[in-house]
Amino acid sequence: MKRYDYLSPEWAAEVKKQLQADLPAEKMKFITTSMSNIYTNCPDGKVRYLFFRCEKGVFTEVRVGDGEPPAADFRITGDHALFSLISQAKMKSQRALMTGKLKLRGNMVKALKLASLADRMNAVIAAVPTNFG
Amino acid sequence: MVIKKSTEKRDPYFIDFPGRVARVQKAMTAGKIDVYLGSRLRTASWITGAFCPWRTYVVIPKKGLPTVFTFVIDAARVADDSWLDEDHILGYAPMGGMDQVSLVADFIREELGVKKGRIGVENGLSNYLPEGVLTHFEYQQFEAALAGADLVDAYDIIDKLSLIKDEGTINRFREASRIVDIGHKAVRAALVNGGYKGKTETEIGGVAAHAMRKAGSEWEWSFTGGNEIASGYRTGLAGGACTPASRRRIRKGEPLMVDIHAMFKLGQGDHSHNYLIGKATKRQKWHAKNFIDIVILTLKTYRAGISPAGLAEEMMTFAEERGFAEYMVPGFEHGIGMTGDEWRIGMNDGPFPFWTNPDHLYRENELLICAMQYACPDEEIGFRYENPILIRKDGCEPLSRYPLGVEEIA
Repeated sequence: MKRYDYLSPEWAAEVKKQLQADLPAEKMKFITTSMSNIYTNCPDGKVRYLFFRCEKGVFTEVRVGDGEPPAADFRITGDHALFSLISQAKMKSQRALMTGKLKLRGNMVKALKLASLADRMNAVIAAVPTNFG
Repeated sequence: MVIKKSTEKRDPYFIDFPGRVARVQKAMTAGKIDVYLGSRLRTASWITGAFCPWRTYVVIPKKGLPTVFTFVIDAARVADDSWLDEDHILGYAPMGGMDQVSLVADFIREELGVKKGRIGVENGLSNYLPEGVLTHFEYQQFEAALAGADLVDAYDIIDKLSLIKDEGTINRFREASRIVDIGHKAVRAALVNGGYKGKTETEIGGVAAHAMRKAGSEWEWSFTGGNEIASGYRTGLAGGACTPASRRRIRKGEPLMVDIHAMFKLGQGDHSHNYLIGKATKRQKWHAKNFIDIVILTLKTYRAGISPAGLAEEMMTFAEERGFAEYMVPGFEHGIGMTGDEWRIGMNDGPFPFWTNPDHLYRENELLICAMQYACPDEEIGFRYENPILIRKDGCEPLSRYPLGVEEIA
């Protein structure tokens, strides 16, 4: 089975494919939203982002990059090591937020509506064969 | 400005909330305030038009709509009740970046772009617990999070602008008073013909609450225990003017004081009515007549141009002449405004910080609660009068119309 390097463009493409396959629009409640995860303290010292866009419940964009992330409804900032734990389903994103390890920017009320969807997304991401390095 | 919800001007309860914000912003400009950071309940009520029971921060920029931050569990409801939309009523929560200080400070620095300058805050103190001035801890936290900006006292902007009531606000108070009168009718019906027997103070409070809720009251608003009911010796506690209902039963031969509260669109009803249960003694009737006479005289005396101290002197002289001055609490009013504005009258310009200035001169269309307490602890008897009154040029308009009297109930 092919394994993808974490936060590589190939990994992002596989994540998008799996999200589209496993989370059809009805499971995503036909939402339109966007989210930038901002990874600080990456192993190479850079700041990276993982950007998701969902339109009417369909994942239309999963993109990785460095530098300034695209504008998004929600920005979640945290250590690379922490995000990698979340991506392996070893840590719940909600726990990371509640303990202040992740920092959220965006409308909290809207974020609450999406909390269960984020868990579903993370479960799908965790199933993608990944080299976390 | 984009307005999600606004009552129509034909609506008797119409309040021009965007106009209020514009007047605050004009005052901010005059006071060289870059951002107003309100935390008092009265400010939240006056700006949002919604009941904000959780700690709420009202951030008013120099231009544009305010953004309000309240506890996330209530933010969607506040947005639903307010004229502001859900993008201007945001929730805070104990999560990274979402705690109240980080969220508000980040908003001011990054969304409003205010990294230096003067941020108006609401410092101070109050005898009323839900006032909501900044705590010392909050002040320190905001000062650190907004380093580079100066936090300056600015509460007088809201206090000045909210002092004279507009027609919509006055009508909300009128409606709340009409509802309170319905509560009093229900209480009376429950007490007469021996109905008082076996009933407790808490039950009387509930009878009033049920009737007022049926009539549309949103809340028995007072933090002093909702509907304040006192019977027997509790009516005459020395200097007492706060009686949350107890489980004490109503008894023949005793006084009963019914001080009930209703809220209508953040306008507040507050009226007290008094009873003597069973056949009153001559002495009880003497106390009751003293009380009624001074209430009548007080209501006749209120008008624009008089002051709390002037009125108190005049009333206490009357009480002295009649021989009951020792039973009067020498204060005859407290302030009132939309929910949270419930104690001090006028501005903070008196001899004691954040207390009513005794020389405050009443102006037309000020609202206050005419509040009088008669208490004779030795004889275990007392009466209370409270009623929102609207100050007019040549008099006052009592908003509760419930007939004045100390009623003997058999």
